[in-house]
Amino acid sequence: MLSVTGVSKTFPGVRALSSVDFTARTGEVHALIGENGAGKSTLIKVLTGVYRPDEGQVTYDGSPVRFATPLEAQHAGISTIYQEVNLVPLMTVARNLLLGREPRNRLGLIDFRRMHRTADEALRGLGIRVDVRRPLRELGVGAQQMVALARAVSVDARVVVMDEPTSSLEPREVRTLFEVIRTLRERGIAVIYVSHRLDELYEICDTVTVLRDGKVVHTGRIADLDRLRLVSLMLGREIGVVRDEGLTKFTGSHDTAVEPVLQAEELTVRHLLDGVSVAVRPGEVVGLGGLLGSGRTETAKAIAGALRTDSGRVVVAGTTVRTGSTPAAIRAGISLLPEDRKAEGVLPGLSVRENIALAALPGLSRFGLVDEARIDRIVDTFMTRLRIKAAGPHQKVGELSGGNQQKVLLARWLAMHPKVLLLDEPTRGIDVGAKAEVQKLIDELADDGLGVLLISSDTEELIEGSDRVVVLKDGAVVAELTGDAVTEDRLMRAIATAPSASTAAGGPDD
Amino acid sequence: MKPTVILRRTSVRTLLATGLVTSLTLVSGCAKSEDDSDKAKNSTSQGDSGQVVASPSAGSGPTCTIDAYGGKKIDLKSATVGFSQSEKEANPFRIAETASIKAEAQKRGVKLLTSNAQSQFSKQISDVQDLIAKGADLLVIAPLNSDGWEPVLRSASAKHIPIVTIDRKINATACKDYVSFIGSDFVEQGKRAADRMIEATGGKGEIAILLGAAGNNVTTERTKGFEDRVKEKAPGLKIVFKQTGEFAREKGQSVTENLIQSKPGITGIYAENDEMGLGAVNALKGAGKKPGTVKIVTIDGTRNAVQGIVDGWINGVIESNPRFGPLAFQTLDSFTQGDKVAQDIVIKDSAYTTDNAKSDIGKAY
Amino acid sequence: MTDLTLGRATADRDRLLRLLQEYGVYLGVVVLLLLNTVFTPHFLSAENFRTQAVQVAPVLIVALGMALAIGSEGVDLSVGSVMALSTSLLSLYLGYGAWIAVLAAVAGGIVVGVANGALIAFVGVQPIVATLALMVAGRGLALVLLPQLKDVRNPGMAELGSGDVLGVPYLVLIAVALALLVGFVVRRTTFGRQLLALGDSRPAARLAGLPVRRVLIVVYVCSGVLAAIAGVLATARLTASDPTSLGTLMELSAITAVVVGGTPLSGGRVRIGGTVAGAVLIQLLTTTLIKHDLPPSWTQIAQAVVIVLAVYAARERGKR
Repeated sequence: MLSVTGVSKTFPGVRALSSVDFTARTGEVHALIGENGAGKSTLIKVLTGVYRPDEGQVTYDGSPVRFATPLEAQHAGISTIYQEVNLVPLMTVARNLLLGREPRNRLGLIDFRRMHRTADEALRGLGIRVDVRRPLRELGVGAQQMVALARAVSVDARVVVMDEPTSSLEPREVRTLFEVIRTLRERGIAVIYVSHRLDELYEICDTVTVLRDGKVVHTGRIADLDRLRLVSLMLGREIGVVRDEGLTKFTGSHDTAVEPVLQAEELTVRHLLDGVSVAVRPGEVVGLGGLLGSGRTETAKAIAGALRTDSGRVVVAGTTVRTGSTPAAIRAGISLLPEDRKAEGVLPGLSVRENIALAALPGLSRFGLVDEARIDRIVDTFMTRLRIKAAGPHQKVGELSGGNQQKVLLARWLAMHPKVLLLDEPTRGIDVGAKAEVQKLIDELADDGLGVLLISSDTEELIEGSDRVVVLKDGAVVAELTGDAVTEDRLMRAIATAPSASTAAGGPDD
Repeated sequence: MKPTVILRRTSVRTLLATGLVTSLTLVSGCAKSEDDSDKAKNSTSQGDSGQVVASPSAGSGPTCTIDAYGGKKIDLKSATVGFSQSEKEANPFRIAETASIKAEAQKRGVKLLTSNAQSQFSKQISDVQDLIAKGADLLVIAPLNSDGWEPVLRSASAKHIPIVTIDRKINATACKDYVSFIGSDFVEQGKRAADRMIEATGGKGEIAILLGAAGNNVTTERTKGFEDRVKEKAPGLKIVFKQTGEFAREKGQSVTENLIQSKPGITGIYAENDEMGLGAVNALKGAGKKPGTVKIVTIDGTRNAVQGIVDGWINGVIESNPRFGPLAFQTLDSFTQGDKVAQDIVIKDSAYTTDNAKSDIGKAY
Repeated sequence: MTDLTLGRATADRDRLLRLLQEYGVYLGVVVLLLLNTVFTPHFLSAENFRTQAVQVAPVLIVALGMALAIGSEGVDLSVGSVMALSTSLLSLYLGYGAWIAVLAAVAGGIVVGVANGALIAFVGVQPIVATLALMVAGRGLALVLLPQLKDVRNPGMAELGSGDVLGVPYLVLIAVALALLVGFVVRRTTFGRQLLALGDSRPAARLAGLPVRRVLIVVYVCSGVLAAIAGVLATARLTASDPTSLGTLMELSAITAVVVGGTPLSGGRVRIGGTVAGAVLIQLLTTTLIKHDLPPSWTQIAQAVVIVLAVYAARERGKR
């Protein structure tokens, strides 16, 4: 259906793809996996007309093609759902869904009645119930993703590319998504599915192509490939090593008898948080469990001063920190790795060096003048220590892969010598290899005496990484799992059975 | 959270407002300008030369009477006159114009209502309607635009209110929509400026024109008059440079600086208003020229320009008389008594030359 | 094979385009200088270069402040009004002597800058709206303080406007010094780095604990002070305070210089060298047309063309 042969693409300093062959067949779900920087995103962009390959040929429906723009590819029947939802947040759900092909009435004006009906039907068909007249941004990330999906399949697509579609979905939504994918497969549509969640791949995909360093290292039926082998192919390491280290890098045991370094007490934010209390001891990793919208991100933001609280207090190493002020929280030793790395974390237009030095800048300056030599030393240290892969310290962060961006952010905070690290989805959108590295780093940092608060939608990561798990539901703490009770099973049960907190109505979106 | 935000916002706003007010009082309270002492002298020496009618003196041209216009005779002394000024009184011309109207009203003991449109035409329309609503029996208008006066004219004619426009004309029928227009003949001003230039240069050499703002009728008419007269009387005088100075001193200065570098042989500069002329003087001074090497003729007749003649930098200033008060009230007086008045009253502008500048500087505004 | 050459050709085109974006403004200046040398009589004279430098100085100084505002993903529309306010204050306080008067004028710039910054940083008004408000208020205040043009006879001011050191006018020296200072601040100070960071991504800068509000206020105070200085210099050159016309449309000239100089309107980057070249380019363009006595409307058209080209280049840059 859609294939590439011998495709290469080079960016300044990086060979992103070299002689890649890839074929997506009709009625097949094809997994495309690889580490960060393996070339998945580049390959998808070549397939969908965002990039033109330097060498090689794209074949679609049996004949060679050259898509000049993504729009051209879209018109030809190739739809893409990106990791980050790329819709218009201010427009209504219905308009987003039918953007560019709104039903018209006789006067050539948009027929809103028909548009709303069509949109409603399309979403209902996917098992989603939202008011299509509301602006898209009022929906949760998961629901927005479903709208994007509905949009992709409602055009007459023959190839659907999904780039990590489940990264912000709840389990129920994931089930719905899989139903949709199965329908697509039955309709003879070729699906290209990119994800880092191995379970999902084995559940939904037929074939798999593994990329590493811009080359195809394996392609074939996924059923013929066991998980360990798949991971080792991606990482390019031997099976024995991988097995020894386990699938996550967490050791999951830290000293628990010390005074807490962070105590958040009765944090309350109207509509969002209802008396949330969390304590983290030095060297301890505390997980925040809960579904989307349970208030995990808000708790982290409230502690970090990025969200103004109505009441409650935050104490770091015995000193009360002024809430609602990021600089005050940072001075006290709290560092937050935000969930939305692209919008709230990195400065994409600035260099790796500037990004790392940013927060520590006042400490690296004398009389307001920047000490370049000291910055160089620090940047150098962290780029080596965190194994940040970049063309050099002067490369723009926006050009790095997600995992390296995350490492740059970690470096920014480690340069501040924090006491507490708040990590909101630190491994989202990062491939298995980098994920393992980041997890190992977190472990090391905790061993060095840092208090870590970990938020993760990946329950496996949460359970294995945390010494304790505080479970949130609708903005309130409903359970705390300690010791042997830290298991996936108990977490699920806590989320499922805990009575819903009554005061904080209508959970927000993470 | 909401209330606190609002509270904070208001407090910021109040703070800003208080800050601004305080700073304003502080600023003006302890200000000490360079020549405060001069001011008193200036205002007392404000010699007044009221306007003299130039063209319809012989009784030629169409006229208008109250019977033809409609309405009834009234005594000007007991009437209320509304005056609508077009632009801020920020330049000497507008200041002198408004002052002249006010002075004449006071002299004749007439009740005067004034308003200023601040260069916004929509405001001028509502200004005039306000004046009518406040009971003005007669109107003197300095229009900002020539067009768009229908709504005002309609409400004025419904009440038979006589209108006299000054310094700019409006596009409407005289003696039906308004009574008379009193103003200068800008083409004539250009011609007289050309005469002064020919005299100063001896009719030979290369000269430059500093144009006014583009698309302005004053600019086009003053240019036309000047060019026609030069072509007709002094073919030896070549106009080699025409650039806009936008009626502003700063622009006049920078354009002239470029002019004297690229054309060092320039013999004369015609500036279509005094401000640009003074800018040209600045430029010549900056380039180290001596007074009189480049002849300058300007139009308007402000005190600074006339002082320029006294100092030897400027060779002639053609006056554009802003003192409409006496003539406007005289026209209204005759009209309301039932006498004939001319529909177009062109006023006589005087001129300042090296001969009379010193003695007549008191007359400049 | 064809694909290969085609790919290389596009790569070359891309590189050329990028070079043009980076250095186009300098190229423009050089081209205009060469053209004038050949076609304009008396162009190659010290006197002429001095005139051009003096004329460009106020615009350049205002553009420096504008570059900071634009680098922080904002804009400062009040600069022209600040110039007017500055000239009013100068004239009003000249009785105390030139130094006091200049201080008063600069203080005016600071006050407007603080007001702009406070509206933007604390109240959360968009820069374009906040500075528009101050643009109207500033000009109004200037005219309340000094309703009409007033001559400046202070010998110190006259000296500032027309004097020189070794043939280089004070105005030019001051402009050069300020350009170097602002360039240094952007490159080497904490403030400069923080300014670029918050211009690149405001939420990220906030979460990184940067003093976002303080930086924003300082940015607009800088812009106000620079505009006030430009107002003082323009007054000195004119030897008159003219709050009615001084600085009108200055904000547009300054924005043009900044944009033509390659500073993207989306923030995160400030090019001081480019801004200087941008201001010079516009000045040379205007001068060329004036010297050849072309109709004034041509100047406007030429400026429009340059702006369109610059914006086109900026658009390409944004896509990158």
